[in-house]
Amino acid sequence: MSAILYHGEPNGASLTVLAALAEAGLDIACRHIDLLAGERHTLTGITDPVALDLCIEGEGPVLVAGGEAMTESVFLAQYFDEAAGGAGLQPADAYARWEMMMWCRQMTERLSPAAALLGNLAGSQEQVAAIPARDFVHVAAAIVSDDLRERWLALRDGAIDSAQVADSESKIAAAVLRCEKQLGDGREWLMGTFSIADLVTYSWLAGMQPLQPAAFADAPLAQAWLARVAARPSVQAALAKATVQDPLRAWAPGPEINRWG
Amino acid sequence: MDEVTLYHWEPNANSGKPMLALMEKGVPFSSHYIDMLQFDQHKPEYLAINPQGTIPAMVHNANGQRRVLTESTAIMEYVNDCFAGPDLMPADAQDSWRVRWWMKFMDQWLGPSFSMIGWSVFVGPMVRQRDPAELDAAIERIPLPERRVAWRKAISGNFSDSEMAESRRRVSLGIAKLEEELGKRPYVGSDQYTLADINIFNSTYSLPLSQPDLAGKDKTPNIMRWLKRVYTRDAVKKTWAMGKTDLAHRYGLIMAEIEG
Repeated sequence: MSAILYHGEPNGASLTVLAALAEAGLDIACRHIDLLAGERHTLTGITDPVALDLCIEGEGPVLVAGGEAMTESVFLAQYFDEAAGGAGLQPADAYARWEMMMWCRQMTERLSPAAALLGNLAGSQEQVAAIPARDFVHVAAAIVSDDLRERWLALRDGAIDSAQVADSESKIAAAVLRCEKQLGDGREWLMGTFSIADLVTYSWLAGMQPLQPAAFADAPLAQAWLARVAARPSVQAALAKATVQDPLRAWAPGPEINRWG
Repeated sequence: MDEVTLYHWEPNANSGKPMLALMEKGVPFSSHYIDMLQFDQHKPEYLAINPQGTIPAMVHNANGQRRVLTESTAIMEYVNDCFAGPDLMPADAQDSWRVRWWMKFMDQWLGPSFSMIGWSVFVGPMVRQRDPAELDAAIERIPLPERRVAWRKAISGNFSDSEMAESRRRVSLGIAKLEEELGKRPYVGSDQYTLADINIFNSTYSLPLSQPDLAGKDKTPNIMRWLKRVYTRDAVKKTWAMGKTDLAHRYGLIMAEIEG
């Protein structure tokens, strides 16, 4: 299989997928790209770009296999697990798998847009706003998805209102609370055994610890769990791919906040 | 002994997904029709099953355990994993990725736009004829705040121009991409009939009637060929025969057009 995984700094969706790849132990080449320079939109060798053009996740990693651009971190993690013949990242029992997918969906629909919004405001807005207009035109023009381009523009222009920030902060707090409850019976991992749910939740939540410390203050179980995930060799290997001092502060425009219902 | 109960509305959009998946797998189930237009899904009897008040929901009793499952696509995946019968996921990992990708694209990006349009032309006008005080009380009983907002907008016809324009943009782009996809392979995401076909068929089976400017024999021949392939499946015929409203009637009209 000659596939290439293009990824940003190990945070958010890129962190999930890099760690999942390490867990699965597949031999796939990883290439770092600068998401905030728009490099995800100028990749070459893609003959089937639909999943890149219409990706819901925003600036997530792209696996190019057989010319096809593959996106969405949860599904890429499942793909690695299955391509490796079962690397233990998904429970074998059908009901446990349903629970895992429901958990991941909650996190990708509620936590990830909120974390991306807060993370970008704190960590990347300045950088995006500093892109000279003559260069930004090219970055924006290369983005096929109208809705993703809108999120880039909103970030550059600071067109994010306080209600969105407050909503995002409450979603971070809700996600932490959910983890704390889930871990309440003393379990080691969110689904009992280690799974994609741990990787996805950690990847969006770890960078929120320094930004939203109050959300974690009364959640000792969640804090201990975050430390357990961070200590996994796969997560360490993913974090070692960073090209910046603190990858958990590196963000790029993420998923949109649910439009209605 | 396995015992499956499905709480569902019409064979359409979310409710139709687990109905059709169970039918394709040959899993017998007892059907509980939840009349969405009467707000059955927010009544205490149903909230006792699914406190979120969303449909569909499935109760599976097996080996002394009672499992309650929600979220239509996740229920389908459970049904496919749990029961014997034809495998509705591809064997190849990249094909499986593609099936999941299309289901998310429909569930989270395109589907909400289809339903905004559907609610503004179908659900809203039907419900609006009721007593306003009764409607208000019904909305107040909805457990999820974002669903309360959505229902208020649907009932009062208050989707903004920009919301409707964005939904129309997405539907138009989504249909074009689906047409492209079905030009590459016979089914959505792979060469075999899978959960992605069930998922997407449930939101597109009436396209030639509901979006005649965007879909039809001349504009989207690949979609029409695929619709015919899916329409003629026994499980689809049996599932759509369970419909009680005009939505199911449209099935017959399209069938006639496809075969004509």
